[in-house]
Amino acid sequence: MTDDREAMFARLRESLGRLNVRTAYPDFAADIATPKARRGGGPEVFRQRLEAANTRVVESVPALGELLRDRDTRHGYCDPSLATILGPALGDDIELLTTFDRERMDEYTFGITRASAGIVETGTLILKDRDTSDRLGALAPWIHIACLNPDRLYATLAEAIIDLDDDPNVILVSGHSQTADVEGIMIHGVHGPGEQVCLFL
Amino acid sequence: MSRQALDVFASTLDESVLQAIEVGARSGVDKRLATLTEDYEDPDMLRRLAGRLRQHALDHLDEYLANAEQRLTENGARVHFAGTTGRARDIILEILRRSGTRVVTKSKSMASEELDLTRVLQARGFEPLETDLGEFVVQLDDDHPSHIVKPIIHKNRRDVARSFERGGLGDYDDDPETITRRARAFMRSKFLEARATITGANFISAESGRIALVTNEGNARFGQAGADIHIVLAGIDKVIPRDRDLALLLSLLIRSATGQRMTSYIELVAGPRSADQPSGPREMHVIFMDANRSAIVGSEMAPILRCIRCGACMNTCPVYRKSSGHAYRGVYPGPMGTVLGPLLAEGGFGELSDLARASTLCGACADVCPVDIPLPELIARLRERSVREHVKQGQQGVPAMGLYALLAGHPRLWRLVMRLGRLLDWVPLRKLPAQLSRAWFDTRTLPRWRGGRFRRWLRGAGGDNHD
Amino acid sequence: MVPERDPVKGTRVQMMMTCLCDAFFDDAAHAAWMCLQRAGREVVCPDGQTCCGQAAYTAGDWPAFRQVVRHVSRVFADPAPIVVASGSCAAALFHEAPMAFEGEPDLPAIQALARRTWELTDFLVNGLGMDRWGGRLDARIAIHNACHTRGTPTIGAVRTLLKSIDGVELAEVPDSDICCGFGGVFSVSHPHISTGMGRDKVANVLSVSPDCIVSADMSCLMHQRGIAEHQGQSYPVRHIAQVLRDANRGLA
Repeated sequence: MTDDREAMFARLRESLGRLNVRTAYPDFAADIATPKARRGGGPEVFRQRLEAANTRVVESVPALGELLRDRDTRHGYCDPSLATILGPALGDDIELLTTFDRERMDEYTFGITRASAGIVETGTLILKDRDTSDRLGALAPWIHIACLNPDRLYATLAEAIIDLDDDPNVILVSGHSQTADVEGIMIHGVHGPGEQVCLFL
Repeated sequence: MSRQALDVFASTLDESVLQAIEVGARSGVDKRLATLTEDYEDPDMLRRLAGRLRQHALDHLDEYLANAEQRLTENGARVHFAGTTGRARDIILEILRRSGTRVVTKSKSMASEELDLTRVLQARGFEPLETDLGEFVVQLDDDHPSHIVKPIIHKNRRDVARSFERGGLGDYDDDPETITRRARAFMRSKFLEARATITGANFISAESGRIALVTNEGNARFGQAGADIHIVLAGIDKVIPRDRDLALLLSLLIRSATGQRMTSYIELVAGPRSADQPSGPREMHVIFMDANRSAIVGSEMAPILRCIRCGACMNTCPVYRKSSGHAYRGVYPGPMGTVLGPLLAEGGFGELSDLARASTLCGACADVCPVDIPLPELIARLRERSVREHVKQGQQGVPAMGLYALLAGHPRLWRLVMRLGRLLDWVPLRKLPAQLSRAWFDTRTLPRWRGGRFRRWLRGAGGDNHD
Repeated sequence: MVPERDPVKGTRVQMMMTCLCDAFFDDAAHAAWMCLQRAGREVVCPDGQTCCGQAAYTAGDWPAFRQVVRHVSRVFADPAPIVVASGSCAAALFHEAPMAFEGEPDLPAIQALARRTWELTDFLVNGLGMDRWGGRLDARIAIHNACHTRGTPTIGAVRTLLKSIDGVELAEVPDSDICCGFGGVFSVSHPHISTGMGRDKVANVLSVSPDCIVSADMSCLMHQRGIAEHQGQSYPVRHIAQVLRDANRGLA
């Protein structure tokens, strides 16, 4: 199968050769699109923004246990490195499974994985491939609990993007999954989690 | 002179369709404006800035495309170049065949519509599944999306319920939450069954090779997490210079498309899954598709390629709202479709050239475009091209201007016509068989002819007149 | 688009009546003349004028458009400002003509023409600095802004002048920024959509019970009134110049 690469670049160069003047890269601050009202603010503002973005904030491991009991979801997936920390504090009735078995996908009622950082401007959690023990664990169950160290916060979307390392899969999560495809009515819980939770660890 | 196909189509639309579109479009307009005015003192400044940024990317596309290719290859992805939609199809089929998969999950991609990919895959024995809810309904109906962001803007819940029932997803139920849950339940196992998943790309950074995917549903995430192979199909115009540009462009795209500040998920995918990640693609392919874009770059029509597919222009366009996306026949509807459609049309410029007539040049679209595309000017230039190249289809519905220009250059003749026009008062114009007069008089009256009266008054008033 | 214009010098102006006023709205042309007189101008209205050529531009026949604009350029060769009784005709000359003359040898002359072309109310308010018109007219007025004046000073100028007239009450029309569907040739090439848009506009305007509908452009008003009358509805339209002139009736 031959590639059209050479022909395409030749066409591009020919087309661009027509231009007398090529538009220059404009000069602008990376965070120019951060609204004034959303600049600044630390962990407390971040909490508010998370909630505004449909993410439930949970302040302690016992509180997480309460939430799971409340939902009657006591059987779920957990990042093995977190299971040792969380297991005892959650309670015996909460079962944490540390491998995600695709055959039993619908048996996991929740998934607990790490978030790598957060963005204050937008109330966003950053998930990265290298910090996520299993993508499916963060995605398939109805409830996803992202564990975040609240010291790892970026003020703006721009700051977060500029600071990205070479992780191959970075996901900016701002709340639960949703769709408004039917008559513009917003329904949550489509293909991603129906409930997004953030646990500060 | 004849009535335009788009107008004829519009006249066949059901009231329920028109209402659904009006509600959906208006909501898009209102939400966009509310968020932009709440967040920014000068949203227009940001639109113009983003416009310059996108134009810069296009004006240096040879360089940026090469950079993106290099970075993606370094990241472990396999990069392909497809000169045409046909070649893109071949590349995708080849990858899928090698994968041994039957089920293929797909995220929303307008570029894939240019290939009619879902139908092609079906015909070749694959089981393609549109995972975006709107596109899923379109697939159930064997239909086409009518809006680039809200594919089923033209449907109401009853339509969707009937589609689901026909598609074997349960008894008729038009509750939106039920519909959504059914889609979720149906698709979950399919995400795992599919060994390959296909997505588009909202942006591709030349600096890092990162593919930006913007969704609310999580379908693209699940498609990738479940699959071994990720195929990205993107027009070459999706390349942007630097990662930092993503902050500006994503901020404008999302606000312009839905009025949100962030969609639930923004994925920034640089390559196949990391070494220790158990779920996700081991293999990633990025197909850069040309399909006539390289001819538009560097031309006076190049600004249309700035388009970031937000849909704001069609939400605000009164012509789109009265005719629906399907009236535009091609892949892209609304104002951006009237320009991009004819330029990308595989059958050549003529095929969709009449779309340029489906506009009053009101400029509402240009006022909302996040990348400052001068749409009315581009539409006018397409009309000019139709006339210059004698493209009959693009000149339908338009009277020839030769006689008019002649009269307008000969004041004596002009003034004579002005005086003679009074005869029109005695001619029952509505009875004339001409399409032109019917098109006016079927629904409108015309004022009485007063040609020459002001000039006579001027002569009497002794104003300084040249002759 | 805010055009760059030469500052107004002297009192002489050349008035462009527009082909529509020439054919249908002689009283609007008369009113424009009177307004310019009242503003202390020496008004010249060249009899050799015909049309601005916009119909050819929107049709895509740019050679024909250039032909007509060249005639305009000859007829209005005097260096005095050209004041046009229509926002869309003015836009044809200061915005569309320079575009269509790219690469033409007489582009500089057309650019010079563009720099001295003004829509009437823009000329009064911004060219002459008149932010008050005065006079009296008891009327509830709905303003219609032609789409060609989008982003131009005309929109502000019409409002400024009307608000300065005693007795004028401005009625805010819902969805006022949505096009009425005239669009020149569009009205006959896409009659179904054009009429649908026009009916929506008429309904929105009439919903605020205006005594009259006023615009700097008669083209849109002709289409809207045509639709309203066809439906048996009363739709009194006035050119802004007619309102300004009438507000001065009874004054010296």
